[in-house]
Amino acid sequence: MMMKKLMSLGLASLMVLSLAGGSMVGAEEADYEECTIKFSWWGGDSRHEATQKAVAAFMEKYPGINVEVNFGAWSDWESARALEFQSGTASDVNQINLSWINEFDYNGDVFLDLNEVSDIIDLSQWDQTNLDMMKDVNGGQAGIPVSMTGRIFYWDKTTFEEAGIEVPTSLAELREAGHTFQEVLGDDYYPLALGEFDRTIFMTFYLQAKYGKAIISDGALNFTEEELLDGLTFIQSLEEDHVIPSIVTIDGDAAASLDQNPKFINGQYAGILEWDSAPMKYKNALAEGRELVVGEEFTDLGENGSTGVFTKVSLGLAISATSQHPKEAAMLIQYLLNDEEGAAILASERGIPESKAAYAVVEAAGGIEPMIGEAHSKVMAASEYAEDPIFESNDLKGSEGVYRDVFSGICYGDYDLEYGAELLFDGITDACEG
Amino acid sequence: MKKWAKNNVGFFFIIPWLIGFLVFKLYPFGSSLIYSFTDFHLFKGISTTGIMNYLDVFQKPKNLEALKLTFKYAFMTVPLKLVISLFIAYILNFKLKGVNFFRTAYYIPSILGGSVAISVLWRALFKDDGLIQQMIRMLGGNPPSFMTDPNWALFIICLLRVWQFGSTMVIFLAALKNVPEDLYEAASIDGARKWKQFFSITVPLITPVIFYNLITQLVQAFQEFNGPFIITNGGPRGKTTLMSILIYNAAFKSYDMGLASAMAWVLFIILVFFTAISFWSQKHWVYYADED
Repeated sequence: MMMKKLMSLGLASLMVLSLAGGSMVGAEEADYEECTIKFSWWGGDSRHEATQKAVAAFMEKYPGINVEVNFGAWSDWESARALEFQSGTASDVNQINLSWINEFDYNGDVFLDLNEVSDIIDLSQWDQTNLDMMKDVNGGQAGIPVSMTGRIFYWDKTTFEEAGIEVPTSLAELREAGHTFQEVLGDDYYPLALGEFDRTIFMTFYLQAKYGKAIISDGALNFTEEELLDGLTFIQSLEEDHVIPSIVTIDGDAAASLDQNPKFINGQYAGILEWDSAPMKYKNALAEGRELVVGEEFTDLGENGSTGVFTKVSLGLAISATSQHPKEAAMLIQYLLNDEEGAAILASERGIPESKAAYAVVEAAGGIEPMIGEAHSKVMAASEYAEDPIFESNDLKGSEGVYRDVFSGICYGDYDLEYGAELLFDGITDACEG
Repeated sequence: MKKWAKNNVGFFFIIPWLIGFLVFKLYPFGSSLIYSFTDFHLFKGISTTGIMNYLDVFQKPKNLEALKLTFKYAFMTVPLKLVISLFIAYILNFKLKGVNFFRTAYYIPSILGGSVAISVLWRALFKDDGLIQQMIRMLGGNPPSFMTDPNWALFIICLLRVWQFGSTMVIFLAALKNVPEDLYEAASIDGARKWKQFFSITVPLITPVIFYNLITQLVQAFQEFNGPFIITNGGPRGKTTLMSILIYNAAFKSYDMGLASAMAWVLFIILVFFTAISFWSQKHWVYYADED
């Protein structure tokens, strides 16, 4: 009888426990609810493969959490996500750009304050300075920086060898390379190719190195129209020294991007100024037998060895404020960015991890692509400024933005340098004033 | 009750279409008119109302330029496309050997539309040192830079549309087949040559179809988006930025829905105007057999 009672009690307890749990599942780290969450990101094929693999491993580790994925190329990705954020239909976990916090989260109510789930996501793995970059207007932690990035030169070493010179390590050598290329290889060969935004960045390096101040800080433009004119004149001088082709020449190539431009693929454009996280697509695009190498940040742009280099959050992960399962979404982020297993799978697919835990795992496993690692360490060593999100706001950087208008306008002969400087000054000032 | 059901069962079948029409056509149509009088920003919301967007459309040089280019594009492509498709249809109406193959071949560009493959093809043809430039050089000419010369850039966008003449050609071909053979026989007996027969018999009898193609092509040309978007992305220096691209950029790049709505309404009014003119003019040149 006693035995029967004990069994009944045991069974009843078991039933109560399972009912009380409902769809709750026990896990090592935390209890969680059986649910479906969505995760969206943009990127290339290798990022897609690694992330899908990591998501599959996450679902295996936490049975009951189903993760639906939505991924694609960058083209028009931003517009589609913007509409989702606006309509409250965004994914639970989103890969975001730093500028999205300013552009899509005006009231601080689009992205969840991740401090609310800091018992799940170990925020102590990030430097506070970097976390602060992704705060919203209310001071909430809108996102977590996955990695930091900055621009650095990459050179097609083979073309420089054909010209009989070493890859440049300074502005002076770069200017000299321009003349050598023209004399030895011909008019169609340039040591560097810069699109409109690349020009903006190189001009910013130059201005910041020369004048010792950030172009934009605390939402304000720190340069006068005359100083911006100096920057435009600098870029124009590179064209005159046969260092860079005109925008008109690049447009005439009719390539969708530089890595798809036959002139880059075959070494006629022998250098680029790119993000430290993005060299692989250029390296892989080069024709057989050609070698892409990481360059140096120039220290002769100003007068005191300053590089003028700035870095920014390359991308972040955020949880939508509308998410019905913020806890499980936070678990996914924790897994991808801090968990030993998740970090090892993602490796450096989103740049060199900023999370200390992830970095240790990836580095120990040799998961950092050597070229990316070299570029990243050089950029971080040379970095002097943090990019203000306004610098990449849509009004400035967009397809109809000020940067493109000014630099292409000068190249096509629509604007002189003075008018270009005026437009640049007014445009950045307007963007700063919102 | 049965009779009522029988009389109204048709409505039941069109419910899916009706819902789609109300939600995806009528509602956006009406709401865009309201938004066009506001400064509605996708994320900032609405702060002011008025006619400022319409003033922008007609005052800002960028918008005026896009309007001008859209007119230029429409008035270049529509007549060219109609003439070429009618000409090809006329030839393919003859009993030629392998005519079905040619009909298919000429129709294929139409179904390709504005795709990535087409953009790659067009760029490869017209880029600096591309196939067309090389051919012109081989013939001893000095080719322009098609992609960076504003006039030529617009021309190659027009060319893409004209090249895709298959659908209008098929409609013309159907119309040509309906022209009674005995009229041609009678004309031949009277000594009329082919060109005389074409202008005096063929063209008058297919004017309803010409009119139909004119209206549809005009509407499509004013709304053209794919060609300039995939090939030049509105460049160089905005010289192929048609109104549709400007609307897209305002709505989905700058999130300025108020301005985008106003531009869309201006485009709509322009289309209504030209369609009305066309309908008014048809009494002077379109021949309907049942009117006699």
